Amino acid sequence: MVEITEKPLDYAALVERARHNNAGAVCAFLGTVREITGDRRTTALDYEAYPEMALKKMADLEALARERWPIIEAVIAHRVGRLDLGEISVVVVVSCPHRKEAFEACRWLMDTFKEVVPIWKRENWADGREEWVHPGLST
Amino acid sequence: MTPTPSPTIAAIIPAAGASRRMGRSKPLLEFEGRPLIARVVSAFIEGGTRPVIVVEPPSDSPEGPAIAQAAAEAGGFGITPGTRPAEMRDSVELAIKELKRRGSPPAAVALAPADAPGIDGALVARLLGAWRENPDRIVIPTAGGRRGHPVVIPWRFVNQIPDLPAGVGINALIAERAGDVLEVDVADEARIADLDTPEDLQRLREAEGRQVRTVRLFAVARERVGRGEITVELPNGGTVADLRSALAEQFPPLAPIAARVMIAVDSEYADDAAVVPPGATLAVIPPVSGG
Repeated sequence: MVEITEKPLDYAALVERARHNNAGAVCAFLGTVREITGDRRTTALDYEAYPEMALKKMADLEALARERWPIIEAVIAHRVGRLDLGEISVVVVVSCPHRKEAFEACRWLMDTFKEVVPIWKRENWADGREEWVHPGLST
Repeated sequence: MTPTPSPTIAAIIPAAGASRRMGRSKPLLEFEGRPLIARVVSAFIEGGTRPVIVVEPPSDSPEGPAIAQAAAEAGGFGITPGTRPAEMRDSVELAIKELKRRGSPPAAVALAPADAPGIDGALVARLLGAWRENPDRIVIPTAGGRRGHPVVIPWRFVNQIPDLPAGVGINALIAERAGDVLEVDVADEARIADLDTPEDLQRLREAEGRQVRTVRLFAVARERVGRGEITVELPNGGTVADLRSALAEQFPPLAPIAARVMIAVDSEYADDAAVVPPGATLAVIPPVSGG
């Protein structure tokens, strides 16, 4: 199950969706807004998505993960809009019969999400500057 | 017996408006290698109107000097007001003043917008011929049931334009004189239309073997251009690589990043070698940073 929402992510509810009698392991990852990056201080993050493509890519990732691991249930949810420090930007939950696969699938989903899903974050630094984060692009 | 000289017919082209299409001034959009304003001026000269007066934007406007140069090179007489006229009617009145200043006024005035792509000398000559046979009438070309440009208006009606009440334009004058209108069916809509809608521009480009495509922009790309959707011109059968070049060329703020973004075609990342399919949804995808 994949979702993009502007509402705060209810991680407990999302974990519940993945819990299942056939699963012996539920692995959940939360991405949260961090204050310090190197020597700079964040005050908030703005997330923007290309919704049609992002949902498509998230669904593709779930399908690929299901081919590789015996996944019972997968939940991938990302929030867009303005997020304050500590808030949850992304939730990935996977349930599998055993923990080895659950850990691996969850990690793979999160790592690959960050490479392919068309969602972007903009830093709002404490010094007032705003900056889109585009790895590898010097503008 | 000496033949009576043909009555002179002047042309007025209002080109001072601020409307832009795809971020560029409409009179400067190119078709078959020339800016539209130059084509319209040339068409009037070939068709036999004299003088061809172009009312230009102020010289301190971004597009003003280029329009003035294109009009002059094509043989037009430019009027450059200090401030941009509020309405097309105001531009036309400036040109009427110039015609009066020159002494004996013309017998009629032909009027066309600066961005009419289909007007050629033959069309102008045909409409002037129709007017000469019916000098009391306002001659208006039609095609497919729609009226277009250029229109040919007898001087005695043109002279009433400055006296029209405020807020009333030339279309109102023509509507009031409906009984004096002579429609001339020219059969080809493209010849008499001007660029009102994105579809008009699309048809123009298709006639040139080019396509006009909508591209969505995100994140830094949107920030640099100032909007989330743009239209880009591409050759027919152009590839993703061609789209990249077109973006950089037609939207200079994208040039520094054009080589480093991905292009999505119908929500899939596309290779540079891929041909951009007709009707596909296109988007610029800067390096992602979600999660």
